Amino acid sequence: MLPLALLNAAQGHPMLVELKDGQTLNGHLVNCDSWMNLTLKEVVQTMADGGRFYRLPEVYVRGNNIKYLRIPEEVLDQAKEHQQTQQASRGGRGGSQQRGDHGGRGDRGRGMGRGGRGRGRGRGNA
Amino acid sequence: MESLSIHDPPPAGEQPVKHQPVPPMVPQLPPQMFTTAAQLLDLTDKKLMVSLRDGKKIIGVLRSWDQFANLVLQDTIERIFVQNLYADIPRGIYIVRGENVLLLGEIDLDKDDYIPEAFQEASVDRVFTLQKKEAEDRKRKEKARSKKLRAYGFEGEHMGEAII
Repeated sequence: MLPLALLNAAQGHPMLVELKDGQTLNGHLVNCDSWMNLTLKEVVQTMADGGRFYRLPEVYVRGNNIKYLRIPEEVLDQAKEHQQTQQASRGGRGGSQQRGDHGGRGDRGRGMGRGGRGRGRGRGNA
Repeated sequence: MESLSIHDPPPAGEQPVKHQPVPPMVPQLPPQMFTTAAQLLDLTDKKLMVSLRDGKKIIGVLRSWDQFANLVLQDTIERIFVQNLYADIPRGIYIVRGENVLLLGEIDLDKDDYIPEAFQEASVDRVFTLQKKEAEDRKRKEKARSKKLRAYGFEGEHMGEAII
């Protein structure tokens, strides 16, 4: 499960977001995208020095300002279960393939992959 | 055209080439081993220490990562250091945005239980207060320093950005 997929799975759950400037935001994740932009609701914003708090009903965070997120343990378990049921329903061929995950430990970084230029059969000879 | 075969003697006057001693081959890893992906693939499901650019040290099991080196760490603790003391704070699951990672490395589990003599574990409260005081001191010093430098016409662009 990729980091951003996990973030997606954490929608609706409470989480802590620390920004690069040291501020922290505690709230429930409403939505997120592939740039890690977030919308949160029922947020408590804590300034970097920990001295001041603000309660905000809704917050939009541009992804590039994030340092890290802390999510509850149960999100990972739920996401795992969800993935398993999805895999089972896909069934049969390719069911065991872990798409977009690193579970395979296959031949990453080896070979040319698709679309690589092969040997021979070039431009022909003039 | 002279017709020669391999059995003919070499032409006279030419010295046989003396072979230079070949330098011993140093085993080298293929270049693709130095990519982020190859490194992180080896570290998946291992216990790591990740040092962030703000100086935080987090220790946990790497579960997942992507092309930006965003990381998912499980069973994480944050270890805070001050002087010769340290404290561990349990933190759960982290999703770290890749650009904030300064360095990371695998923890040797054989050596993990051994605490170097110079260090002592202390309560979180104690280390935290000491650390806060130290950070304030450093900030004050840095402020004074940059003030002086500014007087000389030096303006730091990235002053104190990364803390190790």
